[in-house]
Amino acid sequence: MSNKKCNTIIFEFTEGIGHIIMNQPPSNMMTIEFFSELGQLVAEMKEMTELKAIVISGQGRHFSAGADLDELLNLVDGERSRDHGIKTGNLPDILNKNFETFHFFEKLNIPVISAIRGVCIGSALEFALFTHYRFCGEDAVFGLPETTFNLLPGIGGISRIALLSGRSKALELVLRGNTFPAEEALRIKIVDKILPKKKVVGAAIDFAASIMNGYRKGKEKLYVQKMSF
Amino acid sequence: MDKTDHVSLQIEQNMGIIWIDNPPGNYLVRPEFIRVDLLKDWIETNQVKGLLISGTGKHFSGGADLDALFAMSRDAAMMETEINKGKDLLHFIENLNIPMIAAIRGICFGGGLEIALSCHMRICSDNALFAFPETNHGMMPGLGGINKLRELTSFHETMTFVLSGDMINAEVASAMKLVDQVIPDDDLMKHSKALLKKMVDDRNLKVINYVMKALHNSRTMTLEEAIKEETRMFCELAAEEMERRMSNEE
Repeated sequence: MSNKKCNTIIFEFTEGIGHIIMNQPPSNMMTIEFFSELGQLVAEMKEMTELKAIVISGQGRHFSAGADLDELLNLVDGERSRDHGIKTGNLPDILNKNFETFHFFEKLNIPVISAIRGVCIGSALEFALFTHYRFCGEDAVFGLPETTFNLLPGIGGISRIALLSGRSKALELVLRGNTFPAEEALRIKIVDKILPKKKVVGAAIDFAASIMNGYRKGKEKLYVQKMSF
Repeated sequence: MDKTDHVSLQIEQNMGIIWIDNPPGNYLVRPEFIRVDLLKDWIETNQVKGLLISGTGKHFSGGADLDALFAMSRDAAMMETEINKGKDLLHFIENLNIPMIAAIRGICFGGGLEIALSCHMRICSDNALFAFPETNHGMMPGLGGINKLRELTSFHETMTFVLSGDMINAEVASAMKLVDQVIPDDDLMKHSKALLKKMVDDRNLKVINYVMKALHNSRTMTLEEAIKEETRMFCELAAEEMERRMSNEE
C-alpha cells in the first residue's frame, strides 16, 4: 500500500494509519470532482487490509467550506419543471452516492478521526459527523448555512445533530444557519476535543495510533457491511 | 388579538404568540387548552411561520385547575375523552411543521410543563420553577410528559423529578436539559422573539416545513431512512431554487 495523490485528495499511508487530506486549498471546497475521487478512494480502501485507522483533514488553514452549491444546483435539469412536477436531474443520484461514501467511513470497524482546523461548514460538517471522533482547533468554525440559501443540509446534518445535541439545538442551528465556534461545538457535543490549532492533526494521528490496535476486536475484515448506526 | 376561553392569540408579522391567559396562575380549565381546529385555522389563515407560547403575567402555567379536574373525574368516560383531546392537542403541537418555542417565566407545573415539553424549544427566565406535582396527589403526569422528559434527560433524573414531585429552579432545569436557554426575566420575551425571528423571518415556509419534517423524521425513522429523506427534500428544494434563479434571469 502506498501514498496516493489525485486532483483533489492526498492519501498518505504510514504505519497503519491512512491520512486523507482534502487538497483544494484555501477552502478545500467539496466539488463534484472531489466527491467522485473520494468515492474512488473508498472503493480502493475496501481492499486495504493493513489499514488500522483513518485521519481526515484539510490542506492549509481550513478543513473545508463544504459543497459548491452552484455546481450542485447546475445538476438540476435545465428543463422548466412547472408542468411535469419537479425535475431534479442527476442531483439525487450524486447525493445518494455521496451519502454512501460518507456512510462507508461510519461503518468501518477501524477508528475514523476528523482533524478540523478553520472552517468546517455545510457538507464538510456533515462529512465530519459521519466519522467516529472529531478533534478541532481553537480557531475552528462550524455551521450549516444551507437554509440561508433556501436549501437544507441534505446528507445527514439535521439527523446527526439532532442525535448528538438534541432536536431543539438542531432546530436552532439549522434554521438560523449561523456559524459557531469550537467551544460551542464542544458544549453541544459536535466535537470531542479542542486543541491548539497547530497540534490538531498531530494529536489526531497520535490518538489513532494509541487506540487502533485494540479497536478491531478480532474482526478480520476491514469493511463490515452490517454494522448498524 | 383573539381571545377564546383562557387563551389569547396574537400575530406579530409572520410569528404567532399564544398566551395562556388565566392569570395569575394561568391554570388550565381543560387539557385541550385551545381547540386543535381553531389553532390550525389561525396558523394557516395568518401564514404563521413560527410560534411562541407564554403565560400572561408572572407565570407560564400552574397546570390543571384541580377543582375542574376533580369535577371531571366523577365521570370517568368524560374524563378520558377530555384527556385524549388534550393529548391530541399536544401531539398536534409536537408534530407542527413550524417551530414552536415555549417562553417560560415563573411557575411551570403539571399540565403547564406538559405543554412546554411538547414545544420544540424551551427558553425560561432565571426565576422559572418547574415541577410535576401529580404524584403528590396520588396521580401521575398523563399527557406524555414523562416520556418527553426522558428523551431530554436521563432515566434517573426523570424518575427522581416525577416521583419526588419536587420543584426545581431554572439552573437545575438547564443542567438537566429540560430547558435549552435561561435568560434574565426582563429580556425573556424580547430574546425569544428575536431568536424565533432569526430562525423564520428570512426563510421561505417550505424550507421551514422541510427542516421540521427532517427533525420529526429523526425521531420516528432509522437514521439511514431519515438521511435519505433529507437528501430527497434537499433535491426538491434545489430544483425549486434553480427554477427561481432561471425565472429571475428571464
